[in-house]
Amino acid sequence: MNRTARFFFLVIAFTLLPVGLCFAAPGPMETAQHTVETVIGILKTPALAPEVKRERLSTTIGNSFDFEAMSQRILAQNWKNASSKERDRFIDLLAELLQQNYLGHIESYTNEKIEFVKERIKRNKAAIDTLILTKSKEIPVSYHMLQNGEGWKVYDVIIESVSFVNNYRRTYGQIIKKEGFSGLLAKMEEKLTQLHQENQGQ
Amino acid sequence: MKNLLLLFSVLLLFSLLPTPLPAAEGATDSAATTADDDLFSADPFATEEVELQIYDPIEPVNRGIFWVNDKLYFYLFKPVARGLRIVPEPARVSLRNFISNLTTPIRLINCLLQLKGRDAATEITRFVVNSTVGIAGLFDPASSNGLAKKEEDLGQTFGHYGLGSGPYLVLPILGPSNLRDGVGRIGDLFLDPLTYILTDAETLGLKVVDAENELSLDKDTYEGIVKHEIAPYLFIRDAYEQNRAAKVNK
Repeated sequence: MNRTARFFFLVIAFTLLPVGLCFAAPGPMETAQHTVETVIGILKTPALAPEVKRERLSTTIGNSFDFEAMSQRILAQNWKNASSKERDRFIDLLAELLQQNYLGHIESYTNEKIEFVKERIKRNKAAIDTLILTKSKEIPVSYHMLQNGEGWKVYDVIIESVSFVNNYRRTYGQIIKKEGFSGLLAKMEEKLTQLHQENQGQ
Repeated sequence: MKNLLLLFSVLLLFSLLPTPLPAAEGATDSAATTADDDLFSADPFATEEVELQIYDPIEPVNRGIFWVNDKLYFYLFKPVARGLRIVPEPARVSLRNFISNLTTPIRLINCLLQLKGRDAATEITRFVVNSTVGIAGLFDPASSNGLAKKEEDLGQTFGHYGLGSGPYLVLPILGPSNLRDGVGRIGDLFLDPLTYILTDAETLGLKVVDAENELSLDKDTYEGIVKHEIAPYLFIRDAYEQNRAAKVNK
């Protein structure tokens, strides 16, 4: 390649680079924003029946989290000691409990604004700092995400400096210590039954 | 004066307490978790550099008080707060701003005690701006102009100087706390100008109004926890200690 050719090659490469980046998979912040928009979109569709709304919200939330990564972090040492059957059961129960928990929060949504403050990326992990602005206060919420084959997924949520995963690791750890892994699973199942009953009662 | 002497003697006694109380008990179960993380590779954004140690030697007593507080919440404090909601929200926010503005000295002195000059200046500016432009503190124009409130208290000041949180405590009515923060709360009363202006009964009354007002603005946080968590006592204990540890480190 002569010099001119090389020069043109470089020019073309650099002009195309941003184009390439635009077509690349969405970053963590974009992913989080997209999820929030989808959720608000569903909430603001008045025509939807409550059950359909719940169903769609549930799917959206389910797709935004990496429940396996969360379970590993929550169970820590206990994850290693658990059988694959126990692990799968735990992931399922955690996913369902979390969705119920999130649905509860989302359904009490009354036009609060969510401000995306900043994005920090370190290799395949990211932290997205947001502020929930209510009429009377600002609540800092940070989403910690990791990139897996399907894109960016949340593995921890930090509300007012309280890490959900750290809380559950210690809380669930205590329960396992006292009542064993099966005791924990039983407690989670019991809670879910109770939540389902309450939801049907409404 | 007698009160102040009492306070200082309590503080002195307290400062003699050995700091690394936590490591004693109940902490053993969490120690193993941080070391081996090959399964889930370390979190570069971890909120805790060292695993938080929670020490709850009087757990049965705490759980008893927690139970009583729960009943008080649902049958007394929450219904009162719900009643307060007939007052329009902006008025309740203003009431909160007003009381918060009056208690600026607590935050200011604690900023100064921690040698946080910039934060102290923020508190002074906030007080001046909100007392004037904000009409005697009813509004909070300072916050909308990048001067957010610096939530500092004596518990955080003690923590700033390396005092551990000590045993976890559930206080009657007041809820989650620990020895350090509990003593801090008492100390903060002496930094509160309202203590000196009002009679004891009036101060208490104002605190009750402030707390009920706060509860009326809250979006059923406690209800959500009780509804969704499999172990509300453990969840709240951990959340309290995490939140306080983060505030101390700020």
